[in-house]
Amino acid sequence: MTKQYRRHDDIRLTAMEGEGVVLHMGERRYFTVTETGLVILEALKTPRTFEALVDAITNEYDVTTEHAQRSVQAFLDQCLSSSLIHESEH
Amino acid sequence: MVWLSPEAVDAAEAGERSFFLVVLIFLMRRLGWYHVHGASFIDPLGRGWLMAGDSNCGKSTTTALVASRGWKVGTDDIGFLAREGEHIVSRGMRTTIGLRPGGVALLGAKGGRYLQDRNKEAYWPEELGGGWAPIVTPEIIVFPRLGERTSVVRAPARTALSSMVMWSIWVLCEPQFAQEHLDVLGQVARQSRCFDLTLGPDLFDHPTLLEALIP
Repeated sequence: MTKQYRRHDDIRLTAMEGEGVVLHMGERRYFTVTETGLVILEALKTPRTFEALVDAITNEYDVTTEHAQRSVQAFLDQCLSSSLIHESEH
Repeated sequence: MVWLSPEAVDAAEAGERSFFLVVLIFLMRRLGWYHVHGASFIDPLGRGWLMAGDSNCGKSTTTALVASRGWKVGTDDIGFLAREGEHIVSRGMRTTIGLRPGGVALLGAKGGRYLQDRNKEAYWPEELGGGWAPIVTPEIIVFPRLGERTSVVRAPARTALSSMVMWSIWVLCEPQFAQEHLDVLGQVARQSRCFDLTLGPDLFDHPTLLEALIP
């Protein structure tokens, strides 16, 4: 079984100078996201695995795989706790 | 369908303005005009300003001050952001500028008409020396708060975006309009230079300070 992540349908997103703001329409809340967070949320328009997200970060930025793994995991945890993304197993 | 509680019925007159404003906001949203809680004006260099912020943060007093210096005023409180060609513009309804007693004293404004329901003195921009601009294309956005001395700092992108959302909070309603509304907020922030502005009483001793701080 592989875990996949996907953006919640209630999410709306816009960007400026690489950073962004995210609306959660269902909960009527909004969040700001960093440049890397924006890259991850953009990627999560379609279901992605953790490894695919790490690849998206290492392809975009000059960081080690370990650093990218930590950043992606921390961001996913935050997004899951705020219901910005879903987690499913395939 | 709108249900009013007995308390709301008793206070209907006081709530009338807010009620019809909210109705207007929802109707205009269907036309692609998105409410922003902010003042707008055009300075003598022709630059459009949007001052987005809460009540009691100095919007109306600053609007009256710049009107007294000949600036054109779009609105002192309620604007609608809309696409106009390649830009986002702020459209304002022609209304008076409402000043609380503190604002009247700071400005030394004479005349005006007392609005009992709002405890404000009302001035047309022309009475203060300015003019009216039905459309303002923002290229400077400021997010004001009151402080000891007037100063500005550039607002980081995330702060600018979240502030635009905060002062156009209806973006969180009606999901079918939310992405376009949010895109308009993002575009107006991108087309502008955005600043956090502290408004101090010194602004009234140095009325050209805004242009000096944001050349």
